[in-house]
Amino acid sequence: MQKATTLAKMVNIGKYFGAAQALKKVNIKIRSGEILGLLGDNGAGKSTLIKILAGVFPPDRGEIFFEGEQVYFSSPRDARTRGIETVHQALSLVDIMSISRNFFLGREPIKKIGPIHLLDRKKMNEECKKAVTKYGVRVRSTNEFVSILSGGERQAISIGRAMHFKVKLLILDEPLAALSVRETREVLRQVEKVRESGVSVIFITHNVYHVYPVAERFVMLDRGIKIGEVYKKDASPEDIIEIIATGKMSETLKT
Amino acid sequence: MRETAHNVEIETQKHFLNFSQVRKWPEFGVIFAFLILFIIFSIFSSKFFTLRNITGILTIVSELGIMAIGVAFLMIAGEFDLSVSSVYALSGFLFVTLANKFNSPLAFIITLAVAAFIGFCNGTITLKAHIPSFVATLGTQLIVRGTLLAVTGGESVSYKSDIIMPTILTRFIGYGFRPSHIWFLVLTLIFSIILTNTRYGNWVFATGGNKAVARAMGVNVNKVKVTNFMLSALMASLSGCIVISRFNLANASFGIGMELEAIASAVIGGTFLTGGYGTIIGVFFGALLMGMMRTGLIMIGAPAYWYQAFVGAILIIAATINLKLRHLEM
Repeated sequence: MQKATTLAKMVNIGKYFGAAQALKKVNIKIRSGEILGLLGDNGAGKSTLIKILAGVFPPDRGEIFFEGEQVYFSSPRDARTRGIETVHQALSLVDIMSISRNFFLGREPIKKIGPIHLLDRKKMNEECKKAVTKYGVRVRSTNEFVSILSGGERQAISIGRAMHFKVKLLILDEPLAALSVRETREVLRQVEKVRESGVSVIFITHNVYHVYPVAERFVMLDRGIKIGEVYKKDASPEDIIEIIATGKMSETLKT
Repeated sequence: MRETAHNVEIETQKHFLNFSQVRKWPEFGVIFAFLILFIIFSIFSSKFFTLRNITGILTIVSELGIMAIGVAFLMIAGEFDLSVSSVYALSGFLFVTLANKFNSPLAFIITLAVAAFIGFCNGTITLKAHIPSFVATLGTQLIVRGTLLAVTGGESVSYKSDIIMPTILTRFIGYGFRPSHIWFLVLTLIFSIILTNTRYGNWVFATGGNKAVARAMGVNVNKVKVTNFMLSALMASLSGCIVISRFNLANASFGIGMELEAIASAVIGGTFLTGGYGTIIGVFFGALLMGMMRTGLIMIGAPAYWYQAFVGAILIIAATINLKLRHLEM
């Protein structure tokens, strides 16, 4: 039955911030090529959980497995080398830098002139333009500052960037916050596109209706505890809201 | 008559402030201001546009400018260094003392190493104590200056050693030109290339533009900051060694207030005080503008004291224009 393989697994994850326990024995699994909706109210621990997966900080307890191997990320760079990338509304692009500089930030292509390594600006502009156009952003020049772009365009560029660098697991942290209806639809279409190319996606939101159309499985968190996990075929958006609101799975949904 | 001239100027400004042009030439404002002042000084003083005066200006500008490049490079990464003036004085003193005891190349290397260490401390204190670099480096500025004054007792030492480093750094090479002019030019080009055409430069922009994003994208922001603190101190130290090689005399009170002139040069040159944006070519002209005003004002007959007032006014104007440009972009 289970033909999809597990791409990433977080086992018994615990995290403390001072005395406060942000996560308590959380287990989640992401299969290859699926979109997982990670849901919960503000302060549920969603962001903490995925920041651990993205290498922003290490867990205090528990283990992380990626492609079958146990992994220890000491920085976001480690996670990125393995193919885990986060797209975050506010944390993906530097406003006062050009689109192409942002696109290649941390992974700039270089050309060697003797012992000197210089940025390959031509390649940066060309590849960046190609990639962002593919994800539906039309820019006059990739030398423009990111600050002139709309929220939707920024998300598209971030997603396009992750895809360009062969991401295996894309984490979208509240990607639709502050987006217009039209932009929301556009971003969701891109998420579908990402999945179609075989990439796994974790989609974090507190709004079920944002993720319900695209995800096939949902994990709910509440105050650092995993309170539920359902397949789309087994639960309506209202059922999921009920789980988040009450903090527990109803008997009928437990399988 | 004046009315018309004024109107014409506004017209041209509007034309020039067409935004894509400014974006392509962020140094445009400072170069424009530099040329205007240059022309004014040349008109009002017959001695201004002479080789002797120009090279004289270049000498002062190089010493300030080398420091300003380091300060600006760090500002672009989002941090301040107020300790440069003290590092400058300390370096001069250390260089002379060590050169008198050993030889000048060794003295030079040790001096730079000490400066790099102070820069490292600046960075580490700022990052580990989580205090603004403005405060951290104000602290180290006072510590270094205070220590220097206490140890030397305010007495000067004169340079009595070989001529190797002084020759390389600042001895005349003809027509009033000095090696320091070349150093300033070369360092401007090197830092400019590093900033705009290397991976490291991209990280510097990102670190100053948005530290959290830079980190999330895999940039080691703390390393970038500490490195830039060290570069800032190194440049100040080089500047100090140059000055002392020119004067042949070191005193603990050298360079007081110079950190503000360096920051002013950077801001006039278009560097954002908030980090994330700036150009080294702009800083080059910013320093040139500052140095030119110093001699220019005296030559057209203004009392020397007016210099500071002028710098202040230009600084405010430059910062206002930068902010306006930024709003246009955002």
